[in-house]
Amino acid sequence: MATYNPVTPEIIAQLEQVVPGRVVVGQDVNPDYARDEMPIYGVKMPEVAIDVLTTEEVAGIVKICYDNNIPVTTRGAGTGLVGGCTPVCGGVVLCTMRMNKILNYDLENFAVTVQPGVLLQQLADDALTHGCLYPPDPGEKMATLGGNVATNAGGMRAVKYGATRDYVRAMTVVLPTGEITHFGSTVSKTSSGYSLTNLMVGSEGTLGIITEMTLKLIPAPKATVSLIVPFEDLDACISTVPKVFMHHFKPQAVEFFEKEILVSSEEYLGKQVFPRQIEGVEAGAYLLLTFDGESMDELDPIVESAAEMLVEEGALDVLIADTPPKLKDAWAARSSFLEGIEEQTKLLDECDVVVPVNKIAPYVAFVNEIKGKYDFEVKYFGHAGDGNLHIYECSNTMEEGEFRKQVDEFLSAIYQKAMELGGQISGEHGIGYGKVKYLAEAVGPVNMALMQGIKKVFDPKMILNPGKVCCTL
Amino acid sequence: MEAKTKDLWVFVETKEDGSAKNVGIELLNPGRELADKQGGKLVAVVIGCGVKAAVEEAACHGADQVLYVDGEEFRQYSTDAYVAALDHLVETYGPTTMLIGATPNGRDMGPRLSSRLQTGLTADCTGLAIDEETGCVAWTRPAFGGNLMATILCTDHRPQLGTVRPGVFKKPAAGEAKAEITKVDFSFPAEGIRTEILEVIKETAGELVDLEGADIIVAGGRGVGSAEGFAPVRELAEALGATVGASRAAVDAGWISHSHQVGQTGKTVGPKLYIACGISGAIQHLAGMSASDVIVAINKDADAPIFGVADYGIVGNLFEVLPALTAEIKKRKG
Amino acid sequence: MNILVCIKQVPDTTEIKIDPVTNTLVRDGVPSIINPFDGYALEAAARIKDQDPDTRIVVLSMGPKQAEAALREALAIAADKAYLVTDRMFGGSDTLATSYILYNAISKVEELEGLKFDAIFCGKQAIDGDTAQVGPELAELLNYPQVTYALEATNADGTLHILKEGEDGNYLIGVKTPCLITFTKPSFDPRFPTIKRKMAARKAVIENLTSAELPNIDPARAGLKGSPTKVKKTFVPPRKEAGVVIKEETGEESAQKLFTLLSEAHVI
Repeated sequence: MATYNPVTPEIIAQLEQVVPGRVVVGQDVNPDYARDEMPIYGVKMPEVAIDVLTTEEVAGIVKICYDNNIPVTTRGAGTGLVGGCTPVCGGVVLCTMRMNKILNYDLENFAVTVQPGVLLQQLADDALTHGCLYPPDPGEKMATLGGNVATNAGGMRAVKYGATRDYVRAMTVVLPTGEITHFGSTVSKTSSGYSLTNLMVGSEGTLGIITEMTLKLIPAPKATVSLIVPFEDLDACISTVPKVFMHHFKPQAVEFFEKEILVSSEEYLGKQVFPRQIEGVEAGAYLLLTFDGESMDELDPIVESAAEMLVEEGALDVLIADTPPKLKDAWAARSSFLEGIEEQTKLLDECDVVVPVNKIAPYVAFVNEIKGKYDFEVKYFGHAGDGNLHIYECSNTMEEGEFRKQVDEFLSAIYQKAMELGGQISGEHGIGYGKVKYLAEAVGPVNMALMQGIKKVFDPKMILNPGKVCCTL
Repeated sequence: MEAKTKDLWVFVETKEDGSAKNVGIELLNPGRELADKQGGKLVAVVIGCGVKAAVEEAACHGADQVLYVDGEEFRQYSTDAYVAALDHLVETYGPTTMLIGATPNGRDMGPRLSSRLQTGLTADCTGLAIDEETGCVAWTRPAFGGNLMATILCTDHRPQLGTVRPGVFKKPAAGEAKAEITKVDFSFPAEGIRTEILEVIKETAGELVDLEGADIIVAGGRGVGSAEGFAPVRELAEALGATVGASRAAVDAGWISHSHQVGQTGKTVGPKLYIACGISGAIQHLAGMSASDVIVAINKDADAPIFGVADYGIVGNLFEVLPALTAEIKKRKG
Repeated sequence: MNILVCIKQVPDTTEIKIDPVTNTLVRDGVPSIINPFDGYALEAAARIKDQDPDTRIVVLSMGPKQAEAALREALAIAADKAYLVTDRMFGGSDTLATSYILYNAISKVEELEGLKFDAIFCGKQAIDGDTAQVGPELAELLNYPQVTYALEATNADGTLHILKEGEDGNYLIGVKTPCLITFTKPSFDPRFPTIKRKMAARKAVIENLTSAELPNIDPARAGLKGSPTKVKKTFVPPRKEAGVVIKEETGEESAQKLFTLLSEAHVI
């Protein structure tokens, strides 16, 4: 177990040399820098916080920390859900939010180079003005791209286009020693040794600090249609999902959710968009699908036959969103599920399991079966198309210690079940601080040792984001 | 129809208490100039019930003549009674031009009147002049959500009509009333009013936000980041006695209700001071607020279009600037 | 109840940008949509039909052939039948000429449908022209009572109850049919079309009404020639002169400087 030194006035003076006027110390540090969106995984103030602007600054700061054995935790917008950017050992927090420039489009190679603090929404909007789509589409649009890469964020469109990993071509990285290096290139294939780029993706700030990234784009699809598909109950809803793929439909996104979670999200937004009743039958659960293509003429027959199949499988109806305002409405409620839950909940924990698509129904049945044993409420929704479920544990009445105890028991049980069914414990949120124990349980000592070995090679002094992913304190 | 006179009329809309709405008095200002150029009188036209106050106000703000119709059936605005009265007045006196405030009632009544008179009406004007070539009024108005301005002429029909946006012109200075005051006898049968007010709902379901009438507006946009992010915006508004506005991005994100929205699908405002916080300045938003007297923009992005219309722009973090500004205002107020 | 909803296909003005070089509107690639306010009018009609399934909703538009796309969308959302008034002779009509053409088209549609409309629903204004005039001008020609700025409409036995947005609160207005109502933005959006409606709308026949079908139209009152108002010129609004930029070291210093400047200018 590593031990660290405190940040002394001498060290602060050294840091001041690198970033004059931007070294924020002690009480002056923005309290947001002590946590992410899941305070249940701990809130800890760093000793120093710095809003960095350049690769060289990052290198300079990290070098000082390396020499003095001071932990460094990098953060973006702090929208993570597993305590990944919480500076659990104090030390220095580097915030990349001000490194927010889109540097260069290489439209011949469909690539864009960005700084890590560029927000997902910012790139998505900007790429469209160049006729391009940046496919990864996590629900949180105000997250930074640096954070997206560090957690291999997934999102709604992963069904068709894959996760963030599939769009990272190259990067500039500051290693824990303060050295600056580059991984990857804009080429679309490579067989050139171990993929250090891929090691960095999903490493959650434990191996190096990404200060510039080249991301892949695709030509923006010219036509998009979403289908809102109400079902009488969740069972009917979920068991339809594998059939979508068996019929060779290639949706861009397939989301599922129960009515309760929709209601809280629509209440949060103050706008009811989804129909709650179809010809007198109450909808209990919904699928939300999106298809994209080159033209509406191409999509119309696909949408028609998909709709026909869905109705045969028990959908109450199929509603169509094919104009920009309707598409926006259809997805606004989906994008606010977490906010809707947060607004109504005092104690909140969550997990992000992923199971094979054909195992969603038995998995959800298992969750429903055991949730009755606990005092908290369980709400869930998910990216049905890739078997990725977000399961929330919520309570407004329980005492915190008891809540944590019960949630731990519940999570262990549902993680174990996910593994049994051939799944993984995190689809896209990462391990961070909150899920280390469960990762160890899930992958076993051999794999944990491999990960720890990799960590050692990159970060011999263990100063980068301590206590995360595969390391305990 | 032919104009019988070269007179320019300003319709002075009244409130329920018989006083004039601001816009009617404002229009006497450009009305004076246009009337002089047209070589006719400036006539204020007042319709209502117990409208002595409005008649006097018009008289002492430069009208040469005030024509008024007074009657119980005009106490509440109704399309049927008001259009009938104006039609009668126009048919009787034959003005060449009429300006109507582009209030909800003005924009309800104006087109109905133009259709009855079969003449041209230009909506929601923000600029008035005389076209040199034809001598007609050159009506200038925004279209395409404020992206384009158009200048419109009505050459062959009289009277030429226009509704004019409130707040564009300043009220003329009050002076001695020299106007000839003429009461016109006109009544309208109650059964001719085909709409009935069943209920007045002053308290609507959401909170009522009077942005159009506000002197100062502090508005938040995408940059406030969340519903909670509106707190410093609200605090500054409170310190200034201002109303809280919002951009479409903030409303769409669900951080604040639609009643606060400024811009094309929201409200068009013209306060003395507009403080835009974390608003990038999409053209639709600019269309709704660029008529403000003084615009302050606070935004992190120095390239944000809002700075293009701002009189004062702060490039910075609104969460630092707003609390400091609020504190400063409170301090000076004591 | 029989309701006619007037809709206009408009460019999505939220997507329009100014070319910074030529200082003109960039209309290329701007999607065409149903005028949003007309969408609210259509939804209001649909809500009446929800209560009374015997309601017939007919949509009418005037414009080029491409406007059929907007009518099909309206059919997919709620309309039972769509008509398009389209003729070069009608191009360039101002609001008065447009209302005159629509007035004639409505009586033709009534004849073809074999019914009289109890209510004409319109959006309060189109977002490209922003005039808010066609509705009231049409109401005058029809000699129907009008209610503008409506939020909701309910059918109360031959009388429509209209929730109307006012300057300082809302009003509930009773108006006998036949009448004309113009709608502003309510708290709800038009519903999503169902797949069945969507498929039917794609195949629906949209009746085109040209000057040949509308012989009563006096050419002297239609099109550019028949319009009392004429556009003399259009221009992109001038940009304001550059303002004062404040960029002090800290937010606090910037705030103080702003306060000083605003105080000096007597703004606060």
